[in-house]
Amino acid sequence: MRTFKPRSLVIFFVLLLGAWTNGFAKDETVYIGLAAPLTGDQAYIGIGLLQGAQMAVEDANIKGPVFGLSGIKLLALDDQHNPTQAVLAANRLISDPRVAGIVGHFNSSCTKAASAIYHEARIAQITPASTNPEISRQGFDTFFRMCATDDVQGPTAAHFVYDRLKIRKIAVIDDKTTYGKGLADEFEKKFKALGGTVVSHDGITQGEKDFAPLLTKIRSLEPELLYYGGVYPELSLLIKQSRKLGLHAPWMGGDGIFDVTLIKLATPELSEGTFSTMLGVDPRSFPRARDFVARYEARFGEIGSFSAYAYDTVNLLIEAIRRAGTSDREAVLREVRNTRDFQGVLGTVNFDEKGDAVNQSVGIYKVENGKFVFLEEAKPEVR
Amino acid sequence: MERISLKKSNLFKVATVFLPLALIPLFDHNPYHLDLFTTVGIYALLAMGLNVVVGFAGLLNLGYAAFFAIGAYTYALLSLHWHCPFWLGLPIAGLVSMFFGFLIGMPSIRVRGDYLAITTLGFGEIVRIAFNNLDAWTGGPNGLLGIARPKLWVPSFEGGLHFETWSFSVNPAPYGYLVLGLVAGTACLLLRLSDSKFGRALVAIREDELAASCMGIPTLKVKLYAFGVSSFIAGIAGCVFAAKQTIITPDSFDFVLSVLILAMVVLGGLGNLWGAVLGAAVLGTLPELLREFADYRMLVFGLIMILMMIFRPQGILGGQLIQRELDVRHKESADGAS
Amino acid sequence: MNAALELFIQQLINGLTLGMVYALIALGYTMVYGVIQLINFAHGEVFMVGAYLALTAIWILAALAGPLPFWVSFAALLVFSMAGSALLGATIEKVAYKPLRNSPRLTALITSIGVSFFLQNAVMLIYRSKEQSVPEIIPHVQVSLGRISFSLIQGVIFLTSIGLMIFLTWFVKNTKLGKAMRALAEDPEAACLMGISVDRVIRVTFILGSALASVAGVLFALYYGSVNFHDGYLAGLKAFTAAVFGGIGSIPGAMLGGVLLGVFEGLGAGYISSQWKDVFAFLLLVAVLISKPSGLLGENIPEKV
Repeated sequence: MRTFKPRSLVIFFVLLLGAWTNGFAKDETVYIGLAAPLTGDQAYIGIGLLQGAQMAVEDANIKGPVFGLSGIKLLALDDQHNPTQAVLAANRLISDPRVAGIVGHFNSSCTKAASAIYHEARIAQITPASTNPEISRQGFDTFFRMCATDDVQGPTAAHFVYDRLKIRKIAVIDDKTTYGKGLADEFEKKFKALGGTVVSHDGITQGEKDFAPLLTKIRSLEPELLYYGGVYPELSLLIKQSRKLGLHAPWMGGDGIFDVTLIKLATPELSEGTFSTMLGVDPRSFPRARDFVARYEARFGEIGSFSAYAYDTVNLLIEAIRRAGTSDREAVLREVRNTRDFQGVLGTVNFDEKGDAVNQSVGIYKVENGKFVFLEEAKPEVR
Repeated sequence: MERISLKKSNLFKVATVFLPLALIPLFDHNPYHLDLFTTVGIYALLAMGLNVVVGFAGLLNLGYAAFFAIGAYTYALLSLHWHCPFWLGLPIAGLVSMFFGFLIGMPSIRVRGDYLAITTLGFGEIVRIAFNNLDAWTGGPNGLLGIARPKLWVPSFEGGLHFETWSFSVNPAPYGYLVLGLVAGTACLLLRLSDSKFGRALVAIREDELAASCMGIPTLKVKLYAFGVSSFIAGIAGCVFAAKQTIITPDSFDFVLSVLILAMVVLGGLGNLWGAVLGAAVLGTLPELLREFADYRMLVFGLIMILMMIFRPQGILGGQLIQRELDVRHKESADGAS
Repeated sequence: MNAALELFIQQLINGLTLGMVYALIALGYTMVYGVIQLINFAHGEVFMVGAYLALTAIWILAALAGPLPFWVSFAALLVFSMAGSALLGATIEKVAYKPLRNSPRLTALITSIGVSFFLQNAVMLIYRSKEQSVPEIIPHVQVSLGRISFSLIQGVIFLTSIGLMIFLTWFVKNTKLGKAMRALAEDPEAACLMGISVDRVIRVTFILGSALASVAGVLFALYYGSVNFHDGYLAGLKAFTAAVFGGIGSIPGAMLGGVLLGVFEGLGAGYISSQWKDVFAFLLLVAVLISKPSGLLGENIPEKV
């Protein structure tokens, strides 16, 4: 045995075992699991979700114990918007018996990968923001979604461009992510079906900064509107670089670009006239939400695009726990499914049999004088 | 000369390490721990595979995640289009990955040292971007979902002997055993390999390529074999990963993963098989232990990586390899004398 | 002028601008590689920190000085950012690489990955995780010829980068330190015997490389008008590719590699496909390495006998 020293391996695993056997101390608190990207390049979204969720938990604890003597706490885990990490985080959450329900994840790929695990564990999973329609088609009765799906948002935008703006010739760009490409594809499909022309559909890489070559090419195709499926950091650069190249067609995007930071980054002058769809109504324009937004901004600074969603999602889950009167997962799940007309800051929520929030309206906004101004509310087509 | 065969001592070593580990799922039913156990096992497979090229042959490969991805996508496509069973998909995934290993290895092994690093890095990026862009085949950024889980045929004696199919489920424990078995098998294979003519040729090349080729070692061929073996292991790991996740997307196979696996190999001790396993265990579990740090997690992770290397530059189990080689040489000369 | 030619020239300008930034970062990779044969993964993060330092300097200037002529504030940004990054570069070298000078080469590679994780997350925690907008310091003025446009900031990028490359070439050729750097790259032991202080030369190399990367960071931040803690990753990867493309260890090679990579990317995205452009760039790289294994301008060092 001259070459092999299993000792260090053994010591390592013994240490690890020690950490395991620690186990979970018995305590009365009910936990809500939250999984979102808290590090990495999408951390800004995850942290926005986390802060919204924190406020909901604090509000609930001020109101008093959920049942008996139990307070409520958040167990937030990072999934690095990586499906492998998401599965690990999901297993970690379900293995903690104190966790009564899950809020998450953010990225559709993570939500999808983790949903099977939550289903197996019979624990309610409510995603505040994953919009990919495939997830709810898997038939998991543990899955719920607070936001409208891409196949609602994209076609609504296409109708708006075709019917209201009377634009017939557009170019489409997406960021090659599950979210961005899904949205752009749904938009393109509907726009073509309506009779419009799509002169080009290109993909970009998230995190990239220079789009001048692509925009120079698109400029020569002379589209009347540019649709972008993706999130705002790249769109801000696209807007700036397109204007500098003399490409003046307006831009349009979905909920991923609906963030005041977009206007700050792209400057109010250049982003003027940019259209955006947003799920539900603007929390700032909605009286019930005004108080939440004011408290949020006093506490954490600028509100994230999905913070209000996280706030509503956690509140819905807490209400279900209160009604169930226990932290038993199956009971909580039943109560989440029994949710009727939940009154959130973003409006009234009901779930359909797939777990998707029904009748989610889509608001259409336009940047005017450095602000997203509400134009109209579009009710999605009935499918 | 030593006899080239699977020595009993090797089997014994592997058994002493892996048998105790096999007991864990019996005592611990926590799915999170078992999932982590499986994930670390997959990392260990990858680290052992990468160790063949980086540790044994001294070729820096920065695109190892690509071979992992090829294995995963191969099995996913086979399963989705042809309902290929897992046990058949496993060797096919390894072979396809090995084929690509030869394909990229053949031209790029001629380039030396860090140039090889960048051709492999380039290859890694090409594979990931291609999987992301080839929507028609790979589902693009949505990835492939609904990949079949492994099935077993369990004999049943009720009403005469017949076989019942039993499928893996979300429960990570069977995957844990599967991965553990593969890791143990690979360890046996690699231990045998490192004692073979091929293994010695690799070490000779790493230490002094010119001298090795002067001694009549076909250096290009040997390096190419190393590349092939290493990509085969990655392909196997990819297949298991796909069957465990049932959903794969290109972002699971990025450059960061290649770098992380390399870090496992170096941290454990270059060229040491047990080091690779240990490195995988440390770097695989560390981020989990640090999960409570939330947004400080990766900062602490980076710091620990720096400190570990500064205080133990040769890796945790490093420095034993040279010792081993010296021992072998010593013993051989003694054999010759007797 | 005909439209196709105009389009081509515009694409060339687009590519050259990006190429200049790549070249400045690639210089740091190549110089460090030249003296200690280390692929310094943290270099991309130094570039990113340089961009954030520029942003910080703009905030400080706005708070203290009020409006200044653009070249004054630009110079102030450069000085502030270069000083900060040079300090950072020297610290990284001292803490993370110096203790490992005599260890296997891959060891330092791993610490550089650790440093990279650390810096990225430190910046994320200090400056928050959101994309930060960088105020426009250089006024938006552009010359247009037909549909070809060339802006003042592009001019600044061209002048600054070319100026720095000329300075660096002169520095390495003519100064004592520069000669010491070359000697060290050629043969460390002989250099040591000739009385060259190895530690000092390595430190200077890191300082120079980091300062150049921070200039790239400043230009990058001003040109794109936003910074993100994740910017170092992609830019670093591309610049590293450029350095190898041109022949790692060769200073003119890094410049040529950076500029060519930028142009190639620009033309690839403009004429072929923006989502496949990185694939083409890497294919070209692999092709170059296979036909000329030491890169475009790399020296073919005979293997040690």
